[in-house]
Order: sequence, then C-alpha cells, then structure tokens
Amino acid sequence: MTLFRSMAIRMALVYILLVGGFGYVAYALYGVQITRHDELFEKAQHTYTTRIETHGTRGEIYDFGGSLLVGNMPTMDVVGDPANIYILNKKDVEKTETECRMIADFFERNCENVNADEIFRRLMRRSFTTTDKNGEKKEQDCHYAVIATGVEYEKAKELRNKVKELSFHGVSFTSSYRRKYPKNTMLANILGLTNVSYDTFVPVQGIERSLNEAMTATSGSMVYERARNGRSVTFANSRSEPTLDGYDIFLTIREPLQAIVEEELDLMCERVKPHAAWAILVDPTNGDVLAAAQRPTFNPNDRNTMTPDSSTNRLSELALEPGSIMKPFVISYALDRGFVTPGTMVDCEQGVWKYAGRLLHDTHNVGKVPVTEIIKQSSNIGTAKVSVMMGAKNLDTALRSFGFGQKTGIQLKPETSGIFRPLEKWDSLSVSRFCIGQGIAVSPLQLARAYCMIANGGYKVNLRIVDRIERGDDVRVMPVVKDEKSIFANPTTKKMITDMMIGVTEAGGTCTEAAIEGFHVAGKTGTAQKVINGAYSNRYYASFVGFVPAENPRFVLLVTCDDPTVGSRYGGSASGPTFKAIAERTLKYMHVQPQLSKEAWLAERSAAQKALHERKVREDALVQARREERDRQLKAEKAKESAKKTGTAVASRPATTGTKTSTIRR
Amino acid sequence: MNHFTKKTSPSKDGTAAGPQETPWVAGLIFKMALIMMIIFSAFFARVHLNDKTEQLAREKTRIIEQIREKRTEIQTLNIQLANLRSWDNVNAKIRQYNLALRAVNPSQVRHMKRFEGEVAAPSSLYGGDTRIADSAANSAQNTAGGIQ
Repeated sequence: MTLFRSMAIRMALVYILLVGGFGYVAYALYGVQITRHDELFEKAQHTYTTRIETHGTRGEIYDFGGSLLVGNMPTMDVVGDPANIYILNKKDVEKTETECRMIADFFERNCENVNADEIFRRLMRRSFTTTDKNGEKKEQDCHYAVIATGVEYEKAKELRNKVKELSFHGVSFTSSYRRKYPKNTMLANILGLTNVSYDTFVPVQGIERSLNEAMTATSGSMVYERARNGRSVTFANSRSEPTLDGYDIFLTIREPLQAIVEEELDLMCERVKPHAAWAILVDPTNGDVLAAAQRPTFNPNDRNTMTPDSSTNRLSELALEPGSIMKPFVISYALDRGFVTPGTMVDCEQGVWKYAGRLLHDTHNVGKVPVTEIIKQSSNIGTAKVSVMMGAKNLDTALRSFGFGQKTGIQLKPETSGIFRPLEKWDSLSVSRFCIGQGIAVSPLQLARAYCMIANGGYKVNLRIVDRIERGDDVRVMPVVKDEKSIFANPTTKKMITDMMIGVTEAGGTCTEAAIEGFHVAGKTGTAQKVINGAYSNRYYASFVGFVPAENPRFVLLVTCDDPTVGSRYGGSASGPTFKAIAERTLKYMHVQPQLSKEAWLAERSAAQKALHERKVREDALVQARREERDRQLKAEKAKESAKKTGTAVASRPATTGTKTSTIRR
Repeated sequence: MNHFTKKTSPSKDGTAAGPQETPWVAGLIFKMALIMMIIFSAFFARVHLNDKTEQLAREKTRIIEQIREKRTEIQTLNIQLANLRSWDNVNAKIRQYNLALRAVNPSQVRHMKRFEGEVAAPSSLYGGDTRIADSAANSAQNTAGGIQ
C-alpha cells in the first residue's frame, strides 16, 4: 500500500512537471508564433535575405550614322576594408600596419595619382565616430576606404590577379565606368560633360545636361534568400525590380562634316588669329544641325584644358549684334510685301546720311543704286532707307517672322533668345539701326535658322540636334517642327533675294572669296562692331553666311570670326575663304554635282566682271561729267561775283577754285 | 516465424488456416515497401532536383559573369575603335605615312538608280535607319546623268 502511494505521488509529480513543461512550451510557442511573430520573422528574414541595388549604364551619344561620340568606359574602383584587415590579422596592430603599408606601396607602384601615405592613413582608420539623433556618440567599424578609382579595366584585372597572388586581406575591386569622349575636342562644347558625385553622374553642360533625364539609367533591385555561401537559394522566394539603361542619343551631326568644319576652323584661327571663332552647318529643309564647331574649345577627357572661355557654348548662349548679315531679312520682306522691287532705285547718299539726328555711314561710298546693289554692296544707308520706307511696325513683323527674339527649339540648354526690344520700346533711331544689325542681339543659331528660312522658301523650321533616342527596340524619333505656311506671300521672293545674295559672291560683291567653282553661292557678309562696356569698340565680329547651291540649297553655313587680329577685319576676307573651303568639301562629301561646267562658270564670272567694269566706267564717266558740270557752274558763279566786284576778267583764277573743290571731295 | 507466418495446426473441423493467411501478410509488406520506396524516391528525387537546380544556378551565375565580362571588353574595344576612327587619328596617320589621299570629285560619282521591283537595300546597311536608304534612293532618282 505504502509502495503504491509513493509511486502515485511520484507519478503525479512527473505528470505535473510534464504538464507544466508542456504548458511553458505552449506559452513560449504562443509568444514566438503569435505575439512576437512579426518582430521575429522580420529579424530572421533580415538575417537570411539579401537586397542588392542594381545600376544600369548611362546612355551613350552617337552621331547620325552611329559613330560613338560619348561612351562609357568600363573601369574598376579599388576599395579596402580597414576593419576586416585588422580582424584578419588577428587584431595584431604590428601585422596590420605591415600589411597596410604593403597594400599602399603596391597600389602606388601600379596606379596613377595614388599616394601611398594617403592610402596607408585610410587603411589604418579602423573605426570612426558617429553621432545619433539623441546626440550620443558611437564608435563604428570602418569597412570602406577608397584606394584607387577609375582604374582601366584590363589593368584592374591584372591588379586583381596580383592581389590574389600576394594574398592581401580586405581589398576588393568593384566595377564602375566613367564617361569617355573618344573624339577628344570634337563637338566638345555641344556634347558637354559630366562630373561624378557619389557614383552618380552630375551633368554640367551641353547635351549631357539637356538630355540628362533620358540618358540616366533607372536603378533596380534584387531581393533574395541566401545560402551560407552568399548565393541565392534558387527554390526560395526572390523578387527583382528590373534595371533600365539610359536612352542612347543619336544626334543629327555627321561626323565627317564635323571633322571638315573643325579642321577648316582651325586653319582660319591660324590665319586671322581671332579671339574666338565658330561655324554652324544646317540642313535648311528640316533644320538638322549637320556640324557645329567653335574655337577655343576643350578636351573633355582632360579637364585641365577647360577655361571659362573655352567651355562656353557660344552657338546657343552668345547674343551678339550681327551687323550686315541682317540686311537680307529686311530686304526680302520689303520685296515680298511690295515696298520695293529689285529695280527700285535708292539713293545711298555717297556714304553719309543723317537720320533722326544721327549720322549713318557706309563703308563704300554708294550713290543711287537699285535694291539689288544694296545687298551686293552691303549698303547700310540703302537698307535703312528701305526700312524707313517699310515703317517700324513692318520691320518688327519682318524680324519676328524670321524668328528673332525667339528660341530656335534646339535641344540645347541654356539657349538665349537674344535681345530684341518690343515695338513699343523702340526709339526713333531703331527703325534705321535694327535693319542693319545694330541695337539687336541674336545668337548664331538664330541667324542660321533665319537663313534656313530664306533658303527653304520662307518656311519656319525649328533647329534639331537630336535625331532620335533609342533603348533596345524603343526608338523615339524627334519630330521635325516646320511651319506649313511660308512667311513669303509672294512665291518669287525667294528667287529675288537669292539672286541678290548670289551677287555678293560675284564680281563687285563684298565677298568674291566665297565663290565656288561650278556653283552659285548665295551669301552675305557681316562686319559688326563689338559692344564693349556699352560702347562700340574697334573690335569686330566678321561673319559670312550663305547657302549652296543657291537655287536648291543643300546646306546653310555660318562662319564667324570674333575679333580677327591678323589681316582684314571684314567678314568677306576673314570668314569668306573658310566658308568656301568648308562648303567645297561639304559639297564633295554630299556628292552634289556642280550646276555649271568649269567653262560656263568662268564665262559667267567673266561676264559679271565685264558688266561690272562697264558699269564702273559708266559711273566714273557720270561722276566726271557731274564734277565738270559742277566746276563749270562754280567757275561761272565766281566769274559773276568777280565781275560784280572788280569788273575785271575771271579767266586767270580757275586753278585755285579747282584745288579747293578736289580737296573737299577727297 | 512470427504470429502471422507460423504454421498453425489444422483446426478441429479439418480446414487449414496457414496457406490462406500468408499472401495477405506478404501483400501488406509489399505495399508498405512500395509506399516507402515511392516516398524515398520522391524525397531523393526532390533532393537531386534541388542539387541540380543549384548546380544550374551556379552555372547561370558563372555564365552571366562571363557575359558581363565580355560586354565590358566589347565596351572597351568600342571606345578604342571610336578613338582610332576619330579624324584626328586618321589625319595623323595620313600625315605619318604620307598617303596621297584626296576627296572624291562629285563628277566621279555616279548614283545607281534602283530598278523597278528591285528589293531595297536592308536598313541594317545604314545603321538600322530606313530614312538614309530612302534618301539615297531619292538622291539617285534626282541626280541627272546617273546610270539608268
């Protein structure tokens, strides 16, 4: 009985313990599975789940035909893990120091721009202090020390193998890339450049900046459960957000034409030694910029070549007084609206004309000439008189219809819209000055666009420098923005103004240097005084702009020389030969057949020369006749006066009068 | 011999129980063995499959890494190619080797007019851009004196 009782007690105890034990387990299980489920599940997930940020590559820039202009050069960054180096050296300070010194020396020997002492200092910095939100300072292990950045890929692979051989601890290589400009200075001011800030490209200027959004890659991520070796467990859950590379940009630029323009611009700089120079080649039918160059420029691969002067994009950012290259716009509008005809005679006042209390001069003394000659001889007075004839309102309409005061629509930022005062702010002098390119500031792009309008028959077209953007199969072509209606009401206006502009490159014109064998070249010179500190200076913008072949233009080309210091300062002499050189090579590149045979072209030119000679002879004879007539009148008047005073004969005194008259005329 | 297999003495009514009980037991054992075999087979198949998947995943990672390396090499080569094709470089070579090169005269160029029904050149010839092919065709049509 006693035995049974003690057994019963023991069994009861065991039973209670078991029940208690199971109860506790159940309680703990409840706590783990129900109460703290979320917290613990998150902890566990954090332990075995890895999240990796994936980065795409920035879009590249190509020319129209797919030649690479800006690319991504694969490189590697070398980073060290100071805390790990210390731990892997069993926390032995002496051993750690030795290894860090070896690593630093190794990379100084093998990489450029690496300082061993600086690397050693970084690698020895095993921890750093941080301050949390509550202001408490915390000591944290340092796992990241930059050893070298932008190491070329092939070189980095060699270094990685050597590092393995030498068994350096805590050194890793991470893939990266940097922007590379394989054509060096070519198109540098248009392409722009980027800086790098914390692995992110920061666009600075040019296409890199204006199309940054399209070129920027979209980062993705990958979340997966990992095994002990760090690899993903294939049969476990994983999710990923795709990475998208940036769009590749295809410009309207043709690399061969760009090379031609740049080469000729360099030659011009050698010839006339200007402060700056630029040229732009545009297709007038669709506004495509085929080439655009400027000097000085810089090499984006070598930032030491950058100066504020060389890195500015003058083509879109500079607003300058254009000078005489504005004249065709005014004359064409006057022809179109019937204010004048090519034969209308305008008195150019022999080079000096007073209007609104101010004198206006011509470079050459021009008398009474038809409108055609105003463009050919680039008469300021003739153009101003036509402009005054049109009136301020019509002049304003004319210039605005050619796009002055508006942006050209090109995909470049920033772009100036120039300085063109609204009509209500014009003064009495404006009507005689805006028409000859004074008091109005325009950008080279605006000028090129306006000449495109003359060349294409008056259709306003936006300039395009980006043809299309592509990402795999996703191709987006930038539309051509062109007005359906011409600004010319008269269909013959284009021919009339083109014929006048052809005269500029023919005998008697202001730029015979721009004539091209076998072609009619329509152009206009411009020599504009530079405004420095609010006043006109003795420095000039010498420009020549034109289109070839004149009747069916394949391109519009503007060449400008900012302050030529050697040789002539005139647009015809400074920029004309460069225009010719570029245009000739461009026509050859485009395989444009000459309009005239060599013989026909020479015959045409000699006929023009002969006509000019005959006209000059006629004019000289006319001037001589007038001079003689005036002398005769003068003599007669003097004789009359002398007869009144002395009653003596006047025959002995004509020589003195004649001398005086000729002095005045000279 | 156990309870199920041992031979039992004939019953009093003369019927023999042993030979009828044996197939039932054997069947049970066979069925259990079969089930166990299926379970183990499924288990090992799953393990084998996982192992295979892991192997393939490793292989995939290796190939992806190889592709990445090749792409990187291609990118590097593309940059080098663009550099070599730059006019600066070409011009320097022309001068270095004193090559008597000159631009072609337009009169030396003849455009072939496309015959009716002729298949257009693939756009891949023009960097995938059909407009260049079209413009070449238009240019050919517009050119006077071209070979017809």
